[in-house]
Amino acid sequence: MKSLSVRELYESKRELFQFEVLTGSIDSERPITVSDVHRPGLALAGFTKNFLAERIQILGETEMLFLETLGKEERRKAIDRLFQEKVPCVIVAKGLEYDAYLSTKAKEVGVPILRTPQSTTPFIHRLAEFLEEAFAPRTTLHGTLVDVYGAGLLITGKSGIGKSECALDLVERGHRLVTDDMVIVTRKHNLLYGEASEQLKYHMEIRGIGIVDVRSMFGVRAIGKTKRIDVEVRLREWSASVQYDRLGLEDRMTTILGLKVPVVTIPIIPGKNITVLAEVVAMNHQLKIQGIHSVDLLDKSLIEAMRKKSAPV
Amino acid sequence: MLERIVRVRNSKGIHIRPGQEIVQTAEQFLADVFLQNGSKRINAKSMLGIMGLVAGEGTDLKIITDGPDEAEALQALADLIESGFGEELEEE
Repeated sequence: MKSLSVRELYESKRELFQFEVLTGSIDSERPITVSDVHRPGLALAGFTKNFLAERIQILGETEMLFLETLGKEERRKAIDRLFQEKVPCVIVAKGLEYDAYLSTKAKEVGVPILRTPQSTTPFIHRLAEFLEEAFAPRTTLHGTLVDVYGAGLLITGKSGIGKSECALDLVERGHRLVTDDMVIVTRKHNLLYGEASEQLKYHMEIRGIGIVDVRSMFGVRAIGKTKRIDVEVRLREWSASVQYDRLGLEDRMTTILGLKVPVVTIPIIPGKNITVLAEVVAMNHQLKIQGIHSVDLLDKSLIEAMRKKSAPV
Repeated sequence: MLERIVRVRNSKGIHIRPGQEIVQTAEQFLADVFLQNGSKRINAKSMLGIMGLVAGEGTDLKIITDGPDEAEALQALADLIESGFGEELEEE
């Protein structure tokens, strides 16, 4: 299981969240393993059933006001309940003042406490966004990702079939290259996003020429940082034994990181302009999103025309 | 060159899905395959051509095949169209 140490969270987001450490150490025995956070109000109040101890615990104004209403003994018991199971860390929001026993107890059990001056709810949203990114499922695919008319086309096919050349041609026609040859795919919610590896960014290998830096050569208009993957365009050597889709009546699907992605297989024949085909795939995708399924509409009008023709006059 | 006349039997006529089956069947043969509806004659290996036929139920279609495997192609096309493409058939 993926995990993130509290130290990693602190070090990567110290500036964004203006974190201060309220305990001596930032090291926690328990790593962060889930992207959700928890507000432990009910646990403080005494209801500890289903207490989600694996989550980061956020103490906001409500929790702090509640603790203030308690007598010293009751307050200590409440804080003890918060730490009865090992939580990865506790974060105090809104720069709130806290009871000294909170940090004493936290040090005793080895749980770090952080404090941010930011308001609780906006802070939780930002933190969840960061955690979701950190825990998002990832994979690496062999392919080229280009933003064509706003649609993310993942061009795949075996080495040497012409993925890079197709992407270069698309760039030449004003589309944006995201990454060539290797796509780092991240799943966020129900969408897939692709980007380049930090090192290879905007570089392409063109057979016969070598490594080309697309950003330097074509400028910033030719590149994009990340792009949602909308359609996979599979380039295949043409084969007489394979039946290619002539109509596009049904969307053919593939699965990437558990999500379904439509696939268009394009047979490669010398002299065929794949770039124009890729543009048509992108435009067709955008039309479908607008609710315009060309082939379905044509089918309906054809059936209607035949019905009229055969109806008795 | 061979010819045969067959009647379209399915109630929706030759719309896109049956059209696709015709193209896929015709493509399996080396012979040229044509379909004729009245004066309109089209290549059965072309999807748009088939849609241009506008062959509704009850249409008499002429199948024309020409090439080394013309007999097999004619039989396959005739069987396919007469089967009604597995769709609902017209009421007798």
